[in-house]
Amino acid sequence: MSNKIEDWRKRERDYPIVTGKALYTNDINLPNMLYCTILGSNYAHARIKSINVNKALEIPGVINIITGAELMDKINPLPTNSDYSKLGWHWRIPKVYPLAIDKVRFVGEPIAAIVATNSYIAEDALEMIDVEYEPLPVVVNPEKAMEKDAPLLYEEWGDNIQAYIKFIHGDIEKSFSKADKVLRVQLKEQRYSGFPIEPRCCVADYDERRNELRVWLPNQTPYQSRRYIASVLNMPESHVKVIVPNVGGGFGNRIVPYKEVIPCILSLILKKPIKWFESRRENFLSQTHQRDLKWDVEAAFKNDGRILSIRGRFIMDYGVEGTNRDAGSPAIVPAVRSIPSAYKLEAIQIDAYGVVTNKAPYGAYRGYGKDKGNRLIERVLNIAAREFNLSPEEIRFKNFIQPNEFPYRQITGYLYDSGNYPKVLKRALQLLNIEYWREQQRLLRERNRYIGIGLAFMVEPAGASIPYSIFTGIESAKVSLFTDGSIHVYSNTIDIGQHSKVAIVSVVAENLGVKPEDIKVIMGDSDIVGLGPWSSRGVIYGISAVVKATKALKLKILKVAAKILNENFENLYIKDGVIYSKSNSEKQISIRDLANRVYFFPGPQMTLTQDMLEKGETTLEAIASWFSPTTIKELSSVYTTFCCGADAAVIEVDLETGKVKVLKYVAVHDVGKIIDLASVEAQVQGGIAQGIGGVLFEELIYNEDGQLLTTTFTDYLMPTAIDIPEIEIDHIETPSPVTETGAKGMGEGPIIIPPEVIISAVEDALAPFKVRISETPLKPERIWRLLKCVT
Amino acid sequence: MSKKVSITVKVNGEVFKADVESRMLLIDFLRDVLGLTGTKKGCDEGKCGACTILFNGSAVKSCLMFAVQADGSEIITIEGLSKEGKLHPLQEEFMKNIAIQCGYCTAGMIMVAYNLLKLYPKINEDEIRKGISGNLCRCTGYVNIVKAILSAAHRCEK
Ligand code: FES
Ligand code: FES
Repeated sequence: MSNKIEDWRKRERDYPIVTGKALYTNDINLPNMLYCTILGSNYAHARIKSINVNKALEIPGVINIITGAELMDKINPLPTNSDYSKLGWHWRIPKVYPLAIDKVRFVGEPIAAIVATNSYIAEDALEMIDVEYEPLPVVVNPEKAMEKDAPLLYEEWGDNIQAYIKFIHGDIEKSFSKADKVLRVQLKEQRYSGFPIEPRCCVADYDERRNELRVWLPNQTPYQSRRYIASVLNMPESHVKVIVPNVGGGFGNRIVPYKEVIPCILSLILKKPIKWFESRRENFLSQTHQRDLKWDVEAAFKNDGRILSIRGRFIMDYGVEGTNRDAGSPAIVPAVRSIPSAYKLEAIQIDAYGVVTNKAPYGAYRGYGKDKGNRLIERVLNIAAREFNLSPEEIRFKNFIQPNEFPYRQITGYLYDSGNYPKVLKRALQLLNIEYWREQQRLLRERNRYIGIGLAFMVEPAGASIPYSIFTGIESAKVSLFTDGSIHVYSNTIDIGQHSKVAIVSVVAENLGVKPEDIKVIMGDSDIVGLGPWSSRGVIYGISAVVKATKALKLKILKVAAKILNENFENLYIKDGVIYSKSNSEKQISIRDLANRVYFFPGPQMTLTQDMLEKGETTLEAIASWFSPTTIKELSSVYTTFCCGADAAVIEVDLETGKVKVLKYVAVHDVGKIIDLASVEAQVQGGIAQGIGGVLFEELIYNEDGQLLTTTFTDYLMPTAIDIPEIEIDHIETPSPVTETGAKGMGEGPIIIPPEVIISAVEDALAPFKVRISETPLKPERIWRLLKCVT
Repeated sequence: MSKKVSITVKVNGEVFKADVESRMLLIDFLRDVLGLTGTKKGCDEGKCGACTILFNGSAVKSCLMFAVQADGSEIITIEGLSKEGKLHPLQEEFMKNIAIQCGYCTAGMIMVAYNLLKLYPKINEDEIRKGISGNLCRCTGYVNIVKAILSAAHRCEK
């Protein structure tokens, strides 16, 4: 990255942050603003008999309190974010209101909302609302929820299955009949999620004069969120504007503003600006959760370690639901379709269940579903390696798709764009110096120290375009030249921490030939068409659209310059904002001068080509959109680029306490062409930390009554600086043939690999005790118990 | 409604007098009364460190104190760290080392690091990790934050 881009990053992006000037949603204060708090259910499953708000209303400063029943006729239920019943699948969509009407189904489910003159009073009022509940039987275990006499969350369904899909890819019977060996693998992953450090927050301001609702919120997709909010409020979308200030982390947790619609409703009712800032406890209770799944499969192998196929059962615990409060339910599809990952399989067949229980709703978290299939196959391969007496790398080299086989149609439908898997894995082995550590392991064992080496691979399907959902894949960009010579780029590839602004400036500067300091990026506005960053789609859709628009603008500028300079169009180039002739150094004009001549003095007739004038193309701007070419023909190929990575680590287990310490961690990723190395590396580091958090620490624990026991960062065990090791990174670049820049989506890849790296490293460390892991997180207690069982 | 108490506090070199409710948290005083919104709120219960400020010279979590406890004290927030437009080495190194992703933890991290560097000018990596372990960052995996603090330490030492 050039120095000028680095200067841009510092000045435009980071300076306001390090000086405390950057604006986040909670920093917005409007005149006459009121404060909102939301009362959540104390019960996991109960009927609401009555809600008495009289005492709360008596508190001085309390302005209004609303309940679900009162609102019912005034608003619409939460719209659905995915409807796969249209694909012929078992797919149920519950009717959900922002505030519960007659029944609550999880602890923390919103029941009533309070508006007061300050946040302290609004909180006081929470305590004074009397809710009379009639408790109902609770179910928090998905397998119990699938039993015949289980308590029903939605009586009208007759069971608790929100989604059921039978995935059949290839001929499973035939493939299993060829097997030399069949291995059974079970894997259970706990419930956890992203939990950005900035809690959810919303400032809603309904202006009666303009009949417009303005909403500020940290969000990944304001264009889509406007649709969602307008739908609940029963307002035309054109009367709602969603603005996204700085965002304090996304990770998939900020796609659907299901709770944020409540302050919006209140602002509409009271015609005043309302702020809602969620408490951390409320955030743990009601922000959407993820993972919480169980695989039970058989894998068919040949004796030489070649994998043939996988069949079995998959259960995802959606909590209360995964279609309306967020878009979590669809994760069941990539969970299964990502199973074959980097390998050549003949068949997979999986019965996949999405089950509802009395827990918080299911949403998106970095990895989404892609992490799940990847982790299963990596677990299967690491177990098989042991079985066939192969090293973990050997079994992978035997099964990899080879570099000359791209584009590769995976059996589950995905069309892999490019890759060189053996090269990436080899580099990771070198970076770790795996032979050295294997030797160390032997030596240390003699001294009763147990270190283990683990490794895993991943392929990240990125850049989704999924029909019948909010994830369809639309994206646009507009690039304009202003008369001051500045370039304005409009893109909703919002910077939620991944430095997308810098990537945008970098591709515009390069493709147009202008100075970074002359580029301004406008993002985070529902008036810009585009779905924003999720599914690692920023560099795929967002950047591709920006590059296309930039090239189109350049063409316009050059056409005009050709006329003004009386020079051949092909003979011109732009550098640092000045258009030059290749053959005549006298002939040059700055883009600023050019813009002024076109727009004002002398004006279009004297500067534009006849063709431009006739078409009415008088402005120096270009709009472009971009769509994934690989997803057009086959509906099953819903992803666009497929980056890959190999991580390896050395860990040590303390036999006394069961504590795992990561001694060394290396990661080699192939993300296609790298646009901004610094931010790619930062994404890798952050993703790995979240992956390590997920496998070693983080857990949302519910008791049998459906009470969440982990409602602070310390109970949840969010990793701190002492829990995360130094991470060494290297890159291989295999460009993608399908994006405008050759870059691949990569934001989620880094979180996918660490869990299996650590699991396999712990098993390796404890090989003398034959410890087998089938459940995470690997808290000291779990490992200690496993050791007790086997010794 | 709790009763109001008058307090006088010096924040970033400027003296402020205000009547605050006795239960108002210091963080809310800084953010909502003084308008110093650079100090962030991530949990309001002392677990994330986003609200860290310098209170009479040492790093404290401003969500764990009442505004009235700050009467007569001297406070520095992130807004007061740069002097006459010149950034503190920590601010510069955070930018240079890409230690800022979403930036929500940054103010708290810089303030806690400021205190660490003052107390332990020769601090090493392990000590930095321990020193900032009361501050959470969900984006960076701490790698670049630790690097930034380490380089700032080297610069301050010189
Ligand atoms: S807001 Fe003070 S520690 Fe989290
Ligand atoms: S940079 Fe986002 S929480 Fe630290």
